[in-house]
Amino acid sequence: MIFSIALIILAIFGAPLFTIIAASAMFGYQNEGIDLMAMAIEVLGIASMPMLSAIPLFTFAGYLLSESNAPHRLVRLTSAMLGWMPGGLALVALAACAFFTAFTGASGVTIIALGAILYPALKQDGYPDNFNLGLVTTSGSLGLLFAPSLPLILYGVVAEISIDDLFRAGVLPGILMLVLLSGYSLWINRHNRKPLGSFSWGEVGSALWEAKWELPLPVVVLGGIYSGYFAVSEAAAVTALYVFIVEVLILREIKIKELPGLMRESMLLVGGILIILGVSLASTNYMIDAGVPQQILAYITEYVSSQASFLFLLFIFLLILGAILDIFSAIVLVVPLILPIAAQYGVNDFHLGIVFLAAMQLGYLTPPVGLNLFIASYRFNRPIMNVYSATFPFLIILMISVLLIMYWPGLSLWLLSD
Amino acid sequence: MRRSLTANRLSSTSGIAARLEKWGTALESTALVLLLGALMLLAVGQIVLRIFFSYGFIWADELVKLFVLWIALIASIAASRSNRHLRIDLLSHFVADKYARFPRIIVEAFAAIVCALLAWHSWRFVQLTIEFEDSILVDFPAWIAYSLLPLSFVLMSYRFALSCGSEVVRAVRPDEAAE
Repeated sequence: MIFSIALIILAIFGAPLFTIIAASAMFGYQNEGIDLMAMAIEVLGIASMPMLSAIPLFTFAGYLLSESNAPHRLVRLTSAMLGWMPGGLALVALAACAFFTAFTGASGVTIIALGAILYPALKQDGYPDNFNLGLVTTSGSLGLLFAPSLPLILYGVVAEISIDDLFRAGVLPGILMLVLLSGYSLWINRHNRKPLGSFSWGEVGSALWEAKWELPLPVVVLGGIYSGYFAVSEAAAVTALYVFIVEVLILREIKIKELPGLMRESMLLVGGILIILGVSLASTNYMIDAGVPQQILAYITEYVSSQASFLFLLFIFLLILGAILDIFSAIVLVVPLILPIAAQYGVNDFHLGIVFLAAMQLGYLTPPVGLNLFIASYRFNRPIMNVYSATFPFLIILMISVLLIMYWPGLSLWLLSD
Repeated sequence: MRRSLTANRLSSTSGIAARLEKWGTALESTALVLLLGALMLLAVGQIVLRIFFSYGFIWADELVKLFVLWIALIASIAASRSNRHLRIDLLSHFVADKYARFPRIIVEAFAAIVCALLAWHSWRFVQLTIEFEDSILVDFPAWIAYSLLPLSFVLMSYRFALSCGSEVVRAVRPDEAAE
């Protein structure tokens, strides 16, 4: 008990999470009389998990895309297609960010790559400043539920469920979030309904032409995955190689000289995630052996009997979790423990996954440690309290959508094959 | 950010340490570039073989997974160097720098100790695989692939110890750090 409290304090003080998890696993093994060599075996377990190669490959592809001019081309194309609507630019921002986040794995690069283009453009178009700040900050994690975002892949790996099906399950809930946020944006700007411009086939055509190299990407990746032609890891390899060839060799927007630095930079995040995954394999194995899920279950069944109230409890828990832990660590640490509990309440595995990720998406925006808040504060040079308050209305909208996703399982399960 | 600056200043006091730092970074980056490139080519190669020749190497799948393991380990060494490990880190956001110093010393020391323990026990495991002549990838000695594990934990431990040391230096000589 004292040991656990000490670990929690160390974690709050900012110890690397993987050392906290490793320490707790070693402590548990020691108590059970298991040789600590088992730690090494568990960490090496990284090498026996299927699909994991998708994570470094998609992350690398995402970094390449965000460093090239692809964000500009994406914004231009979305503007050409959606800009004619009233409140067009806000919709453009939401759609472009959702797309970009899905392809870059929700690692915070969206705010940096797209926010830099959209934030000044929104301001120029006369949208209120706080709205712009909130919109751009929120959009940074918006595509999380769409394939092939990293949290979806990691969740599938950790929960040992079909990643392809998880991708399908995320589509409608992701669209729901987009629709609610778009509705809110239109409502807020109902007095400033200036469209970006009138619709022109010429502009759509030239924007399409400009983006010709990137256009096959979503078709190949999403088409390949959803049709079952490519496994996720294969799609990741194809994406990484394709993006490399296009941005570095054909368009030459990234110089060969910059490539090693970029590769290293992208792998820093991957290393951080995978080492936590490695030590978590040890700690969750220990906790499952020690019957921790059963103990939690026994405890909560005393108070919670229906699925509905269990889900609400889960919602509160995930909100708190998301506020203190990043989404990757949360998936790796918590999912193995809540899976058996949720199964007892009859929650579908895929529905649970989408609920979990949608709720953790709120974590990007919740004080005190929401990642997007800090990135936006840093990137747009605004005080963090200002970012908090500007993002708050968007947070409420997203919360409503999470509750809808939670209590409407059909939305997640609709597109599943069986 | 501020922390790594201090670490740099600390190491620049001796030329050897600075050179070690430079070579270390270059070595990590090179390894990451090669592994990531190899991972990409191997995975795409497998797809091409599968689609056009309905063929595949049995060992390729295992090798891909091994590459991922190595990338994970080398990238976490790099993450320790660049101070990019995932942390909750409430402290640095909300507490003034000088009050956060003491907790930081403890935290870095703790991380160094945990990594040292992990290094020691994984080293024992590697010895065991040598003894039992375990093999992977058909008949490749497993210990060669696995010895990256203790090595990376040793390096991470060293990194955290260094960063702990630089925090101590800043605590003892605050005027120098304030420059």
